[in-house]
Amino acid sequence: MDASINMNSVTISVEGMTCNSCVWTIEKHIGSVNGVHHVKVSLEEKSATIIYDSKLQTPKTLQEAIDDMGFDAILHNPNPLP
Amino acid sequence: MPKHEFSVDMTCEGCAEAVSRVLNKLGGVQFSVDLPSKKVCIDSEHSVDTLLATLNKTGKAVSYVGPK
Repeated sequence: MDASINMNSVTISVEGMTCNSCVWTIEKHIGSVNGVHHVKVSLEEKSATIIYDSKLQTPKTLQEAIDDMGFDAILHNPNPLP
Repeated sequence: MPKHEFSVDMTCEGCAEAVSRVLNKLGGVQFSVDLPSKKVCIDSEHSVDTLLATLNKTGKAVSYVGPK
């Protein structure tokens, strides 16, 4: 494996999800974004936890990707602890 | 303005809301969402391709039904 890959994770609040179909759609869509390794969306907590390569994505671009889908994505902590 | 009808695989209010949001972001559109029949009727000068691309952003299955 390439040692230069920088894994990072971020939790983004997502408003506007009301059912599992919304959750599934976000997981599928964000999961296909370049540099995203894993995504877990929680309907109860209204949040998405994303594990990503910090060379390819930033919390801001991931937030925009969710926002683009028509959901209200809010970034609480732009610089999460490692 | 031309009227176009699209079939969008929406299953709940949240899905319909997401569709409304992306369309509002695009701007220059008037639309109505019919959740029970999974149809979105759009009144716009935008091309069908632009509208399709916008609807596709929601990650749902979208197809163009035809002009209305």
